[in-house]
Amino acid sequence: MAAMESERRRAELLERIGSRFDIEPRVAEDGTVWISVGEQDLGECLAFAKREGFDHCSAISVTDWPGEEAFELTYHLWSYDHKVLLTVKSRIDRGKATVDSAVPLWGPSAGIHERELHELFGVEFAGNPDLAPLFLENWDGPPPFRKDFDWRDYVRKEFYDEANPREQGYWD
Amino acid sequence: MRQTLASRGTGTEQIAEGIEARDGYDLYFGPVHPGSGNFGVKLTIRGEEVVAARADPGYLHRGFEKLMEYRTPMQNAVLSDRLCILESLNWNLVHAEAVDRLYGEEIPDRAKYIRVIMAELSRIQSHIIWYGVLSKALGFDTGFKVAFGYRDYVLDLFEFVTGGRVYPAGYICPGGVRRDFPDGTKKRIEDLLVKMETMVREFEAYDSKTISARCQGVGVLELDDALRLGATGPVLRASGLAADVRRDAPYEVYDDLDFDIPVREEGDAYARSIVRGEEIEESIKIIRQALDRLPAEELPPVKPRVAGKIPEGEVYVRNEIARGEAAVYMRSVGESHPYRCKIRGPDLLHMIPVLEHLLVGAEVADVPAIYWSLNICPADMDR
Repeated sequence: MAAMESERRRAELLERIGSRFDIEPRVAEDGTVWISVGEQDLGECLAFAKREGFDHCSAISVTDWPGEEAFELTYHLWSYDHKVLLTVKSRIDRGKATVDSAVPLWGPSAGIHERELHELFGVEFAGNPDLAPLFLENWDGPPPFRKDFDWRDYVRKEFYDEANPREQGYWD
Repeated sequence: MRQTLASRGTGTEQIAEGIEARDGYDLYFGPVHPGSGNFGVKLTIRGEEVVAARADPGYLHRGFEKLMEYRTPMQNAVLSDRLCILESLNWNLVHAEAVDRLYGEEIPDRAKYIRVIMAELSRIQSHIIWYGVLSKALGFDTGFKVAFGYRDYVLDLFEFVTGGRVYPAGYICPGGVRRDFPDGTKKRIEDLLVKMETMVREFEAYDSKTISARCQGVGVLELDDALRLGATGPVLRASGLAADVRRDAPYEVYDDLDFDIPVREEGDAYARSIVRGEEIEESIKIIRQALDRLPAEELPPVKPRVAGKIPEGEVYVRNEIARGEAAVYMRSVGESHPYRCKIRGPDLLHMIPVLEHLLVGAEVADVPAIYWSLNICPADMDR
């Protein structure tokens, strides 16, 4: 019964999203809904989702595509009312990775994810009041979760001595 | 110092006045506080009141998301143990489900039931640790010892089934579970559940003079704030919202099982304690049902996918673990390693926005009660 209700609500939601943003939402086998929007529509799409009752910002993530000069942002949103999981995806330019913060919509629960992504991927979230470093201490290298940061190479150079015969295995 | 004060002729009242006149003092709560784990919070106090709190995470940052991009799913299954030391089997399950959904394959029913039984035992075990550490924080050492004594019974069972007491080495892995229950497991679990019931009664008997006395009305989290700050799991349910991934978006065999979701309206540290206590009883109920329905046919051994490629695609899988909502976003481009693996743990939210919010305005003496009422784990916050 609950599953049927959730399915009906999902269908209505898909219709509203489709007509509002002129896109075809994808429903995965596990029932989660995925939409991709252009960078210019992202802010409006997230605000739309919040108004539609997606009151829980479960996570925000970044996927790095250096070959395509893009960062892909994914916002995973859950609605306690509709019991639907919606993922909003958008690609932004890797060279000037700045996007409006989702803090005005979801408050600190979105802010903390943005703070993490700012540190690990170097994405700027305009309007986020707190983007202080979260995990790394005295770090002056590039954002370490980017694909072009080779941590194995970094660890070798930083922590192992090539001249030391006992550590040569790390350099072979 | 003493001399200077004496020469000014100060008594304690004047010292207190001097402290009041300043902006406040910094008090470092952790990272070497017993029981805090590798995590600290810097408090600014004025008199007895906490006027500002700033979480200081990062001591356990191991870069799991990046490490997983360099490893196959079977290797990552073992790595997923370490996402939270206190409930590794639950994290095994979230990771394994993400890979299973990318492969799009059904796992055998018996494996699903075994997964649920082990995940629920892990939840009970995690709640026992929480009870022990909270007791310790409140100065009730007996509670700590009793709880950790009972926890060992669960660890004995984990060792019997998975080979590991704390780290099951990816027992719940992509494709099912690493091996079937050994002979005699069912009887052992049934005996264990009887012990767990005795334990719950024992905790209840201690309650009036310990947890209720120190936690009632302390650290109240209103529902609006809970949503805004991203609280999930027992913390959210203690503030009045009956949200549970096992019920709202059932995975494995949870939709076939009958269980209640404990909820409280008060939102204080005591409500969070009650919710967890009741959850232990619900988990016992779930395990009994799962044992009754456990399909009889033996499981074939899981073949590790050492060289296989993960089908292209992306999934976002959510589970309800002891601390709240755990999720994995996995993206595959058809290689043997995931292209991206984002891990969402409940404690990034509970230990930073929620904790900071609850501590401001609290009295210094209430800090431990608030801190441990959230059942925090630095490992899944830092990853």
